[in-house]
Amino acid sequence: MDILKREIARRVFAFELSRSNYATAESGERSPKYILTPTGVKCNRVFMVGVLLEKEEVSPDSNFWRIRVSDPTGVVTGFVGRYQSEALESLLEIEPPEIVSIVAKLNLFQGETRNLLSLRPESINISDRKNRDFWVIETAKRTLERIKRMKEDGDRNDDIKLAMDIYNPDLKEYLEIVKKAVEAVREEAEVFAERGKEVSEAKGELGIVEEAEIEEIEETEEEQKDEIEKRKIEELKLDSFEFDEFEFEEEEWDLSDILDEE
Amino acid sequence: MNEKEKIDILTERVLSRFKGREIDPKEVSKRLKLLIYEFKVPEDEAVRTVTNYLLKELDVPREEIVTESPIKSISEINRAGEWVSVKAKVIQLWDTDSPNLSQVGLAGDPTGIIKFVIWAKSRKPEVKEGKSYLFKNVVTDSFRGRMQININRNSDIIELDEDIGLPPREMELIGALVAIQQNSGFIQRCKRCNRVLKKDVCAVHGKVDGYDDLRIKGVIDDGVNYYEVILNQENIKKLTGIGIEEARRIASEKLDREFVLEELRKKLLGYYFRISGSKGSRYFLVKEIEFLSPNVVDDADKILSETEKLMEEI
Repeated sequence: MDILKREIARRVFAFELSRSNYATAESGERSPKYILTPTGVKCNRVFMVGVLLEKEEVSPDSNFWRIRVSDPTGVVTGFVGRYQSEALESLLEIEPPEIVSIVAKLNLFQGETRNLLSLRPESINISDRKNRDFWVIETAKRTLERIKRMKEDGDRNDDIKLAMDIYNPDLKEYLEIVKKAVEAVREEAEVFAERGKEVSEAKGELGIVEEAEIEEIEETEEEQKDEIEKRKIEELKLDSFEFDEFEFEEEEWDLSDILDEE
Repeated sequence: MNEKEKIDILTERVLSRFKGREIDPKEVSKRLKLLIYEFKVPEDEAVRTVTNYLLKELDVPREEIVTESPIKSISEINRAGEWVSVKAKVIQLWDTDSPNLSQVGLAGDPTGIIKFVIWAKSRKPEVKEGKSYLFKNVVTDSFRGRMQININRNSDIIELDEDIGLPPREMELIGALVAIQQNSGFIQRCKRCNRVLKKDVCAVHGKVDGYDDLRIKGVIDDGVNYYEVILNQENIKKLTGIGIEEARRIASEKLDREFVLEELRKKLLGYYFRISGSKGSRYFLVKEIEFLSPNVVDDADKILSETEKLMEEI
């Protein structure tokens, strides 16, 4: 038996993720769903280390949670339900704000004005400042690589061409985002390096403050989105049977973990 | 290679197993030619058929014929259906569910790493991880585009005193542990074959007594590639401080072995690691693993200067 190739967990800043609203139309029922981001990477799965800002049960005792996760560039929303049992179990034990690492699949909800992206976490775990800093560094590197590919006129692959057509991204804006994110962790790392080890144990509270500040800029936009999302969730709950089925199908697509045994 | 050359090589292969006995090479060639070119029998089958014919004809017991296949290094194995002998170290044993298989795993020498399959029918004593062996008279095979060696009834496995080295080309990985897979944690293995027990049952030996072990099958992902890794007891203890004793303590305190995996997950999942080792055919073979201690300031400076450069170019 051949093993299905596992989807790579892409590294994309929240700023870029929250602007990703195009799902690739793949042929065949079984083919995985990808979200194309503005800098031209097709994601089925992402890995993030950021700050869990909020968790909120969508309605009492629904065991369906809405989370907001921030990195230095913005905020993304996620939903954790009983089909994500591993993530749900961990989420229940975590009190925000807290630095967490998340491995998640992506969902695109059809909004009234536009499509909205959310995370569907497979796993959530408490993390630390050092790990978060490296995630920002790594994500910055990957984003720069993608910007470079978009900039080059030559061998653009189809994904990049498509991203150009759909988003026509302002590459300078994305460079600014990379810069902002890297500067944020650099400053902090320097401060911690000076203050020594003792402080570095203090759970990176400084990081949370900084991120919260940056987040304010995004706030109005985020609120609009929240409204739409809430409405969307209500709709979904009215028709919960369909929702369940939809989720189940989604699970079916990724058999890598099941088929994995020798 | 023309027909004649090919037949000559195959004839030599057959004759090499009957050293010291008088056999007419022409007779062998004729039979091979007939099977291969007239009857379109695959080469290996033709060789085997002719060999069997000679065994019967000369009335020699199978054990007596010279079975010295040439010793080859792993990198030289690139054709299926050859009889070879390989000196290699067993690097890793995999779990197998099939009763037809005795053991499956990876073996390596300084030139490469190859999958080996020991068929249950071969009735060979079991090999152990980390030990070096002479795999004598094994058959090369190609499975899904990768070479492997099959140990059959006519093969021998001889333990060596020397330690066979592994390929020097070591790789270093930096990536995050994004998944921990099934059969990880505080597991039990079959005392007879080391397979992981599922609910106290060994796939081959049925309900057996097991022994405790710790291991993690996981996925390391750097955003571009992913690597499947197996962390053993020693790796896990070094990273988390949880060894077998501690695992037993946790399991008995919580009355649940699964709780150990829960603890390990909390300490490892979503963290970045620096790993050195080598790439096997499926798994990345971990030699050293540690939590990554990034130099954020230096890395950040590099990225910032590159960002500046790109800003100017756009």
